Amino acid sequence: MLRYTLGRLLSAVPVLFVVSLVAFAIIAIVPGDLASEMAGPSATAEELARLRAQLGLDKPLLERMLDWYGALLRGDLGESILLRRSVTAAILERLPVTLGLTFLALALAIVFGVLAGMVAAVRPNSWTDQGVMALALVGLSLPDFWLGLVFIWLFAVQLGWLPTGGYVPLAEDPLGWLRAMAMPAGALALTQMGLLARMTRASMLDVLRQDFVRTAYAKGLPGWVVVGRHAGANVLVPVITVAGVSVGILLGGAVVIEQVFALPGVGRLIIGAIQRRDYPVIQGGLLLTATIFVLVNLVVDLLYAAVDPRVRYDR
Amino acid sequence: MNTGKQGSGKKLGRREFGVGAAGMAAGALGAATVAAPALAQRRGGEVVMAQQAQPPSLDAATSSAQSSRNITLHIVETLFARDEAGNPMPDLAEGVTVSADGLTYTFPLRRGVRFHNGRVMTSADVKASLERYGRVGASAAIMRPVDVIETPDANTVVVKLKEPSPGFIAGISSPRAPCAIIPAEEAAKPAGQIEIIGTGPFRFVEYRPDSHVRLARFDDYSQNTNFQARDGFGGRKTAYFDSILIRFVPEAGARTAGLQTGEIHVLEALAVPAARRLAEDRNVRTYEMMPWAFQTLMLNHAQGPTANLGVRRAIQAALDMEEIMAISTDGLFRLTHGWQHPGTTYFAGDVGKELYNLKDANRARALLRESGYRNEELIILSDSSFSNHKAAAEVTAEQLKAIGINVRLNVVDWPTAFSQRTRREGWHVWTLMFGIEPYEGPYNVVGFFSGQAPIQHERDAVIDDANRRLNTALAEADRRQAVADFQRRMYDQAIAIKCGDVGIVQATRANIANYRPYRIPRLWDCWFA
Repeated sequence: MLRYTLGRLLSAVPVLFVVSLVAFAIIAIVPGDLASEMAGPSATAEELARLRAQLGLDKPLLERMLDWYGALLRGDLGESILLRRSVTAAILERLPVTLGLTFLALALAIVFGVLAGMVAAVRPNSWTDQGVMALALVGLSLPDFWLGLVFIWLFAVQLGWLPTGGYVPLAEDPLGWLRAMAMPAGALALTQMGLLARMTRASMLDVLRQDFVRTAYAKGLPGWVVVGRHAGANVLVPVITVAGVSVGILLGGAVVIEQVFALPGVGRLIIGAIQRRDYPVIQGGLLLTATIFVLVNLVVDLLYAAVDPRVRYDR
Repeated sequence: MNTGKQGSGKKLGRREFGVGAAGMAAGALGAATVAAPALAQRRGGEVVMAQQAQPPSLDAATSSAQSSRNITLHIVETLFARDEAGNPMPDLAEGVTVSADGLTYTFPLRRGVRFHNGRVMTSADVKASLERYGRVGASAAIMRPVDVIETPDANTVVVKLKEPSPGFIAGISSPRAPCAIIPAEEAAKPAGQIEIIGTGPFRFVEYRPDSHVRLARFDDYSQNTNFQARDGFGGRKTAYFDSILIRFVPEAGARTAGLQTGEIHVLEALAVPAARRLAEDRNVRTYEMMPWAFQTLMLNHAQGPTANLGVRRAIQAALDMEEIMAISTDGLFRLTHGWQHPGTTYFAGDVGKELYNLKDANRARALLRESGYRNEELIILSDSSFSNHKAAAEVTAEQLKAIGINVRLNVVDWPTAFSQRTRREGWHVWTLMFGIEPYEGPYNVVGFFSGQAPIQHERDAVIDDANRRLNTALAEADRRQAVADFQRRMYDQAIAIKCGDVGIVQATRANIANYRPYRIPRLWDCWFA
């Protein structure tokens, strides 16, 4: 297992290198820079040139690229032009927000999605099944940013239960954190909830038709034990697969949701950097996102072995 | 600004500058300097303001972004500021004496003004700040005419110019990228690396990127007792709130919702449809400001169809400004032709008006035929970052297609459009909302079309000459004539096209007393009722 894990981690290095190269290529193609925004439309060419020099934007791309890779080898993602501070620090500062949002949304999606899928599967083609699947389809179809705005209107403006946006650190006030995260995580989770519910239902229906389930029932085991323990364990592998994919989708969705709810996360950092052409942050953000994807895929593969005794990586 | 008086060598105080650059009208309340209101002022509380973007920098001098000055103008002050009507007025200076040749400006400073670090401001701080502006300021060109800055004593600054520059006071008083007076030790530091210290009514507390900036009332603030009340960015300012929290909320719907729930007390801008929807909400007050900006179409004279004067004139003749403005501003607009705001010193009257908003398709088609236009592609460059830019581009495109122009719309993001327009190729029409420049007066408006790199990419001798006269003539009448000549040329040669004036809506919770809308949401001289 350890050898397999190390091998996978090593194989991620060229992937991340290619990602960073692509980031540089995009930056070379996309016009515009931060100096233009700071100087404003009526700035003279001379003022713009001076500001570019101040911000280090007058250096050739190749020079910036070599500087960046040099710093990266020392574990440094460079310095943000806009924030005037280390990109690594800026990302690490915001990472808890994004990861908190993503994993809360993932937890909601898994708990409610899997439960809904199981409920639908044990009563196939019933009104319950049709109702749950219809709701799942609705959840799957609604864009998360639109849901976010609807949630704000409903839970903040109309009912006054939750704040419209902003962030409270978990360490400072756990209840405040939960209140701040409830709507964004809910909006983000709904799509994946629908996906997980439909996938769980389909897998569960397959499992429930198998002989060992019939045997379990024949032995007189209660229905909830058969479904929850014996059949449920067999549904875990596809659930983990979808959950792994969901992490990626949720991270992508978090970028938009952080904008809607004014959450100071990595997504907002990257969007702001793109809008203002803060290149080191764009590069650092892309590298981080790619790293998370690689790690999540690795964790998913390792979890297969944990939940399915047939999967072994040490042979 | 009245240089006729400057030229006399007379000492100028507040009202001597009452003929300055630009003017604003605060629609809801009217615009005028007001005496202290007959309301019970209350100190205390944290006011929450929301704005769309976070500032690119809090080093006031180095950024001309609205998101920066919304914050920094609570922290820093300038030698001269702008009054409610947009005219220059003394702020940290008591006034100015200008020598008869227009080359020497002597500024006596207000005494006992303290920085947020507790130190008293001296002429050394002012000299260092002005010199720094020349090095790193976003509008550093205003310091170009400066030869030397002298400090004969701790409370006097003398600025000697190499050549007369009647726009000098307008420049150093502009809020665009404020020529902030900061401690000399900070002024020695590079751009963006200073401690945020000023003399303003609020002091900087913290900046959490992507989240908020917090300011606190500066209890040792030195009020400008030469005035009775706030006036534009100057006057006698009083801080009532204990602190200000400026939140960055990118989503307009979330900002509006925050105002409705009371989480947010002040909005820098509220979408017009939302303002109409909230008109009946007793917890919210909305304030229309007109004018806020120009909506314009910049034309590229270097290549493509717009290099042809006949095509430019056809475009000018074709456009229905009412349709463009109504759609791009959600109805908050007025149709005015001037390249300066009506009611201000440099407004050029009816010059060019006969060529504005002609919406004459037949005349446009005839001009197009005469021009020899052969269905070449005309690229309208716009951006999706500002909804009014995109809407103006879309309406313009349809109107130009209707007269037979082969239009292609290229909508990108703001930095891309901004960068693209600096190139001679790849665009022919560029939609731009011109906001702070007309507020500042004529200098940056005329300058935009003049010099080595004019926006239209081809120099125009008449406009260059008007710019030269505007920047050198000591008599105000001559400068006004220069602006009139500029405006005539703009219309006659269809250098660029002004669509109309755009308004803006600021909004507060109803419990914010004595709020008065302005170029930024001013959070001094207002309080929780």
